[in-house]
Amino acid sequence: MKKVKLLALAAAALVFASSCNDDEGTTTPPNNNGGDDEMVVTANISENTTWSSDKVYVLGGRITVLDGVTLTIEPGTVIKGQAGTGANATALLVARGGKLMAEGTADAPIIFTSVADEIMPSDVAAGNFASPNLDPNINGLWGGIIVLGKAPISASNDNGDVSEVQIEGIPTSDANGLYGGSVADDNSGVLKYISIRHGGTNIGSGNEINGLTMGGVGSGTTVENIEVVANQDDGIEWFGGTVNVKNVVVWNCGDDGIDTDQAWAGTLDNFVVATVSGHSFELDGPEGSMNAGHKIMNGSVICSDADVTSQDLINTDDNSIVDLEKIYFTAVKSGQQINRVSAAGVTFTDIKINVDAADLASHVNGDVPAGVSTGTTGYADISGLGWTWASKAGGLSGL
Amino acid sequence: MKKLVVLFGLLTVSLLTIAQNGTIRGIVIDNETGERIMGASIMFPNNPGVGSISDLDGEFTVSIAPGKHTVLISFIGLGDYTVNDVAVTAGETTFLGELRMKEASDQLVEVVVQATVKRKTETALLTLKRKSAVVLDGISSSLIKEIGDNDAVEAAKRITGVTVEGGKYVYVRGLGDSYSKTTLNNMEIPGLDPDRNSIQMDIFPTSLVDNMMVSKTFSAHLPADFSGGLMNLELKSFPEEKIFEVSVSAGYNPSMHLNSDYLTYKGGKSDFLGFDDGTRALPNGADQSEIPTPISGHSKEEVGDFIKGFNSTLGAQKKTSPMDMGFNLTFGNQKMLQNEKNSKLGYIFSLAYKNETRYYDDVVYGEYQKYIDPEQYELRYATVQNGQVGQNNVLLGGLAGVAIKNLNSKHRVMLLHLQSGEKKAGQFFIDNDGQAVGQSGYLGLSHNLEYNQRSLTNLLLNGTYRLKYGAVEIDWRIAPTYSTGSYPDIRKTAFTFESTDTFFSAGAAGNPTRIWRSLSEFNIPVAFDITEDLKFMGRDFQFKTGISNIYKMRDYNIRSFDVQFFGKQPDWVEQDPDAVLTDDLTYPNGNIYFQSGNGDPNPNEYQSRSNNTGAYVSGEMNLTSKLKVVAGLRGENFIQWHTGRDQAYANGNIAEGKNLDNEVVLESFNLFPSMNAIYALTKMQNARFSYSRTIARPSFKQLSFAQILDPISNRIFNGSLFQYSDWGGELQVTNIDNIDLRWESFTRDGEMISFSAFYKYFTNPIELVRIPEQQTSTEYQPRNVGNGTLYGIEFEFRKNLEFISKKLSKFSVNGNVTLVKSYIDMTDLEFNSRQNFERMGQTIQNRRAMAGQSPYSINGGIMYKDKEKHMSGGIFYNVKGPTLQIVGVGLFPDIYTIPFHSLNASFSKQFGKDHKNGLSLKASNLLMDKLESMYRSYKAADQPFNSWSPGMSFSVGLSHKI
Repeated sequence: MKKVKLLALAAAALVFASSCNDDEGTTTPPNNNGGDDEMVVTANISENTTWSSDKVYVLGGRITVLDGVTLTIEPGTVIKGQAGTGANATALLVARGGKLMAEGTADAPIIFTSVADEIMPSDVAAGNFASPNLDPNINGLWGGIIVLGKAPISASNDNGDVSEVQIEGIPTSDANGLYGGSVADDNSGVLKYISIRHGGTNIGSGNEINGLTMGGVGSGTTVENIEVVANQDDGIEWFGGTVNVKNVVVWNCGDDGIDTDQAWAGTLDNFVVATVSGHSFELDGPEGSMNAGHKIMNGSVICSDADVTSQDLINTDDNSIVDLEKIYFTAVKSGQQINRVSAAGVTFTDIKINVDAADLASHVNGDVPAGVSTGTTGYADISGLGWTWASKAGGLSGL
Repeated sequence: MKKLVVLFGLLTVSLLTIAQNGTIRGIVIDNETGERIMGASIMFPNNPGVGSISDLDGEFTVSIAPGKHTVLISFIGLGDYTVNDVAVTAGETTFLGELRMKEASDQLVEVVVQATVKRKTETALLTLKRKSAVVLDGISSSLIKEIGDNDAVEAAKRITGVTVEGGKYVYVRGLGDSYSKTTLNNMEIPGLDPDRNSIQMDIFPTSLVDNMMVSKTFSAHLPADFSGGLMNLELKSFPEEKIFEVSVSAGYNPSMHLNSDYLTYKGGKSDFLGFDDGTRALPNGADQSEIPTPISGHSKEEVGDFIKGFNSTLGAQKKTSPMDMGFNLTFGNQKMLQNEKNSKLGYIFSLAYKNETRYYDDVVYGEYQKYIDPEQYELRYATVQNGQVGQNNVLLGGLAGVAIKNLNSKHRVMLLHLQSGEKKAGQFFIDNDGQAVGQSGYLGLSHNLEYNQRSLTNLLLNGTYRLKYGAVEIDWRIAPTYSTGSYPDIRKTAFTFESTDTFFSAGAAGNPTRIWRSLSEFNIPVAFDITEDLKFMGRDFQFKTGISNIYKMRDYNIRSFDVQFFGKQPDWVEQDPDAVLTDDLTYPNGNIYFQSGNGDPNPNEYQSRSNNTGAYVSGEMNLTSKLKVVAGLRGENFIQWHTGRDQAYANGNIAEGKNLDNEVVLESFNLFPSMNAIYALTKMQNARFSYSRTIARPSFKQLSFAQILDPISNRIFNGSLFQYSDWGGELQVTNIDNIDLRWESFTRDGEMISFSAFYKYFTNPIELVRIPEQQTSTEYQPRNVGNGTLYGIEFEFRKNLEFISKKLSKFSVNGNVTLVKSYIDMTDLEFNSRQNFERMGQTIQNRRAMAGQSPYSINGGIMYKDKEKHMSGGIFYNVKGPTLQIVGVGLFPDIYTIPFHSLNASFSKQFGKDHKNGLSLKASNLLMDKLESMYRSYKAADQPFNSWSPGMSFSVGLSHKI
């Protein structure tokens, strides 16, 4: 009798357990098709792919160009990121070993913007590069572009067999966010004539998505003629790497203009930083034992306008390693400073600040270095930057 | 619920009115074993017509005319037991207490004084403890009654080896939550706090506690997922005497109460009852995949209407803090239904309300790093937050139970509901150092508003039967529980400061954020047990077998929304959070809107289920007259299913993203052998040996894709299903082998001394690991780490101080000291990353202490008890050694919980007519210690991870028995 009862109960328990197996519904995958002239991209780029200028490509999430894969973007193509914050932010991420071949031209730049932007490839083809409906100070509508490579970084744990770290803005759950390595001439592709707009959505406090983020990008990569407009965070940020960058405009960004970390060992040549809300330059030192520095040269900086006053002219840390040469600051307001002149690794050559000579000292925290003086003419050669929205909207006037 | 109250009301009224007789009650105990005797005859030599038989609980109830009576108890094989001069008053109950039947040669005659039998014998529980083959300890209602403790937590403190945390959670042997377990009426109940194994004990009045037993070693009939100790709280179903008790209490903490700096915020109208009235409900439409924003194609007005669904209170406000207060109503009795069949009805009811306020004015959350330079020993900060937090906790609990029993069967139904609401408001100054690794540098001021609402409803159905004159006991239990835990509308608003500007900066202190988290869980445990007393080769042999099944199902989701500005944001010169969501700044008039942080499908939403089917056999036998062995084997088949997905899948990356649709994430069948042996060195001295295998399993939260952000500390928990770096995403169960050796010596009145040595081997322990590759935000993930070994010694004692001086006979001391050595062999990843950050002069070993295991724990108490004066009191001290809390990797140092020297005192007295009034006084944290977790690194000063002062608090309670 006892046994029978036991068996019955055991059987009941089994039935109970198994009957609960089939109660879940299925999740419908998100729609993968937009209209005819729109293509919603939701999957990572896992085989060589070309995006052509006859379509608008909508980033439905954080789209990653995977290791060994090349994404080619034709000139004049428009890419739009869907809205979303936090881990839900949209972005184009080029993972280590992946390649982005985005070669726009001055006549047909490649535009990265928000789905809220009504700009179409036909506008670009017609030479209208400005947004038809969004003001150039509207930010935080999507994420940004993140390029990661295998070049050395000076991260905190670089001297053991862990030589990689997770890039800002990508949640830890996504291992494609790792960057860094030992291939100095690593090649992540070509980025030319690209305008990145309205991005930098909120990720979480202390965490950012910049307009263009480069983590461990190697010197084999070509990055030139880049514009970042109204990114909620920094304009361009380097985390180590060896890539050289030239012909850059950063306009109306919500945080810093040019931001460098982890011993980026490259050169930024010919650029304009205009009316950012944070520091115009936020230049950090190495975080690991590898010491390397970068050079920033031939630039013009507009430090304020009617709406915006930037923070520091130049912000460096004690351990920063950077050569600053031929940089001109204009529209400088009282309180704006070079925050530090004592860092041993930082040199100032031909830095001109457009203020009265009597006021110069008030814009330098410390003794004014020999390389810092007053001046009234810009160093950036803006003749090649006429394709930018900033230029077309008059944002570069006076340089 | 209302009906029940009415029913109870009627029952008491009927009892009060019809009684002309008086009642005698008692419990018949086997003196040798401490077990209860069923079927003993209760006779009245002077009233031959009256009598009874003890029931399956060994209890008897006799209705008899008022006057003085002699009670004679007899049972085959044992000597008669006579109680003289039992005074019975009309309408009242005379409770004789435990009556211990001895061998036939000893006739026993006792005289009743003041209701209970006067004696100096140990309680039945002490005998049980001494004789039991497994190491157990506990406290029963008879002792609690003598001492006069108020709630179950106070009573639990008297058990050696028990630590009380936060005034409500009980742990055994200094082992943390993942290795301890608490059950109610032998059934698993999820705690109100879903991340704990334990149920809070402070809501159970002692008048309803039948006993609290702690098993320190495993045997086959217990659930296998504990390793340190299992505490079971058994509630009364048949109160020996009528209980009708009202108590009120008030508490005062000089640093927290009546303080005009206290922070709070305007909540809902029902906050004082422990739940939200809808004030914090998710706004209409916020659960849609597309919410109205300026760029979603909705009109400006639609965007505006949507924003109006969000409560606009964002700032913490100063207000004078109230004192703590509590109220308790307890009610219970039993009633004879049918004299001939000896059938009784028992009922209990209890209502508890607590309203407690805390104010911490020195809260610190720190994130610290090592320097890159190995010669720089000190730690540097990445972020330090200093602030104040005000907190109001409301707890409402109700318990009702009805039981019916006759001589050999008992059925009971018990319904428990707990409801709690915790309102929190904080203000923090944030300092982020841009020179630290991964940080951009900013200053900020944040306002944090939170509400945490929890509920638990548990129904217990239980039947117990004794067959074959009590030789066979059959017991079944079903105890379904529904529990919820939600954080409706967490609001964080943090201003960033840069030179003269105050603004919201996405990359610095962040934009204002709203978060809704919700959890609901069903638990259905079922158990069926049979115990039979047999003879085997002429010796007593007790055979136990049973099966059990626990089915659990959890739904969890998080939704978050961020404030965004469509264009330029104003300068927030006033730093007033309540100025943000105003009509002129939000859509359609202004440019503020909410953006969704939720994927579709939501990666922060999961459904998890688990089913654990267990079966066991176990036998207990006296192999010789001195050696008793209980050996058993338990099998548990555990399966956990998960429905959830990672970020990639949620973003639409169906090809590579991971999506689990009701898939098995953990399946393990394990056998748990156990053997407990007790050897009686003398009548009062034992040597014990025990071996068992037990298990610790990952929780639903640990085995998920959830990413849970704590908005105040800004730290992120990652479920273990994410594969990352060299973590494969497959969290394994922890198998634990336990060996215990123990010597113990007892005296009759409850004194004891014991020495134990124990050894445990952990295969695949789970620890919370800092993710080294993530340097910007502070993120953790539970992972299996290398195998762990633990060994230690334990010393326990309870001693009356009469041996020093007669004057001290009312004092006793008890204590428990445990010394533990534990170590884990590190994984290569951990070892290498630690070596990379080796400081000058430091040598990194590939071994370290296990997380969660303190190297020592000390519990001690001096207790005072004066039965004649109805007074008792005690001073209790408890401390745990520095315990590795979070495993640091690379740049990030280890985090240790710092010893908290807890010194508490309590005093209680019964006074007035029939001692029906009670006064209790308590003082907590007399040493004014701080609760701290610290970053620790070689040759560096400790730096705070979490730190705050609970202050000293006092409380007064008054109770009255009606």
